[in-house]
Amino acid sequence: MRSPQFSSFVILIVLLVVFGVADSNFLSPLNISNMMAFLPELGIIALGMTLLLTAGEFDLSVGAVFGLAPVVVMLLVQNAGVDIGVALLAGLLLCIVIGAINGVIVTKIGISSFLVTLSMLLIVRGAALYITQGFPLKSWDQPGFFVTLLAGSFNVGSFRFYTSLWWFIGLSLLAVYVLRYAKLGNWISAIGSNRNAAVARGVPADAVKIWLFILTSVLAGLAGMISAFRISAASPVAGTGYELEVIAMVVVGGTALTGGRGTILGTIVGALMLRAIRNGIVLVGVPGLAYNIFVGVIILAMLILHALLQKNAARS
Amino acid sequence: MMQEVLRLQNLQKSFGSVRALKSASLTLKEGEVVALLGDNGAGKSTLIKAISGVFPIDRGDIYVRGEKVSIRSTREAMDLGIETIHQDTSLAPDLSIARNLFLGREPVNLKWLGVLAPLDLAKLRNAASALLKRVGISKKLDADALVSTLSGGERQSIAISRAMQFAAKVIILDEPTNNLGVEETHGVLRFVKEMREAGHSVLLITHNIHHVFEVADRIIVMRRGEIVAEQTVADTDLLTVESLITGADLSALMKRAQ
Repeated sequence: MRSPQFSSFVILIVLLVVFGVADSNFLSPLNISNMMAFLPELGIIALGMTLLLTAGEFDLSVGAVFGLAPVVVMLLVQNAGVDIGVALLAGLLLCIVIGAINGVIVTKIGISSFLVTLSMLLIVRGAALYITQGFPLKSWDQPGFFVTLLAGSFNVGSFRFYTSLWWFIGLSLLAVYVLRYAKLGNWISAIGSNRNAAVARGVPADAVKIWLFILTSVLAGLAGMISAFRISAASPVAGTGYELEVIAMVVVGGTALTGGRGTILGTIVGALMLRAIRNGIVLVGVPGLAYNIFVGVIILAMLILHALLQKNAARS
Repeated sequence: MMQEVLRLQNLQKSFGSVRALKSASLTLKEGEVVALLGDNGAGKSTLIKAISGVFPIDRGDIYVRGEKVSIRSTREAMDLGIETIHQDTSLAPDLSIARNLFLGREPVNLKWLGVLAPLDLAKLRNAASALLKRVGISKKLDADALVSTLSGGERQSIAISRAMQFAAKVIILDEPTNNLGVEETHGVLRFVKEMREAGHSVLLITHNIHHVFEVADRIIVMRRGEIVAEQTVADTDLLTVESLITGADLSALMKRAQ
């Protein structure tokens, strides 16, 4: 097996063993529960990003949307007295609009998604800061349907899991299905691989891309709401830097940054890996300020490995 | 008398102030290979793009089997039975041969799910294998192989067999032998002959006049956005055709040189 997701999987196992041996707390129920609480929030965004990257585009505004969506929801609830259910819906609607603007500008005006979504990052983050005047809001914490739906928790033995894990699992299965088995997945890969060929076969490339931008934006907003509900706070700076972390998860898993080749299983492995790295190197005592160095080095090592594997595969 | 398949009447297309296609009329009959020749900028690409639905024409009429049609998208062209094979751009390299063969026309189960419908993978695979066998390249190629692992000639063969598979009435080949080796080029030309025998009409765009004399029945020459000559291959020769393309009377020059 030379597939990139398989090599990523092997490295994930190696990392888990190394961290597990280095610190016995790493594989303790409490620590695993901790990792699983964080995992879905970035993981859910990574699923959308995988599909978008496979179609040959990417989205730098996801971290900002992650911050803005819950802030807007809570402002509507607290300042305008809007029902929480309606406010959540309005928040998702806003994500749809942001994604649609990204998609339309990229496909219809023909500006690269890097530039469009970079600008959108600034606009969205700026909006979140301005409407909150920079202060974090208290998030919705009254027990009820929506808290259970987004941030409820349950115990399995001595493990404590959040409902967000179900969201991640469900959305992962859906994404695997779409990319590998559905007609749409064939279109997404074809668009990223050779857009002109796809268009020449009657594939509506622009529409597919616009919907993927919308999907990615909505998933980022959903993840932001899950996070805000879990920690009972909606901060305008939440999700800062997530865009790069999410892209790192996706490419470490084996999805090509240039489009055409995407793997959801790889992205799940990549999400687990980055989570384990962030958690593990703190446990083994790497100084807090040094730890981005390690994260960067490990990501780079992964990408070099993928590149070498691919070269080998091409030669044989 | 062979039946008329495609007729173009006074097609016109401008890009801004550039009149890429001043006026083009031509007829294509069943089981006929017509070569479209012309220098760069003669309007060949504009003409085939208009027929294959890449952009709309400004003026003029298109008839398919005698019926007037309008072609507003590549999809509509395909549905009318017009398949275009563009040079180098017809296949998605990261997809398997089978997935490429059915791109845009995937066989699915549970059709009501729309774009989310699951591919009928067994049908996809079997149909692809059967097709590869029929066109005689199944020995070398597996339907699940990625297109990125194929040679240029193999890719052209795949693209051409895809067009044949959907029983296209008109197959447009845009520079099909560009960047191909000698052997691969002969493979593609053999394909063109097979297409004619199978009753498809072929519009062949090429720079290589030798290929034209090998496979074409008729030659249409374009210059500066207009069709300037139309001849059957049997009634013409290489020098005449070259003169028509460049607009210079080469045969007169040759005579003078002698």
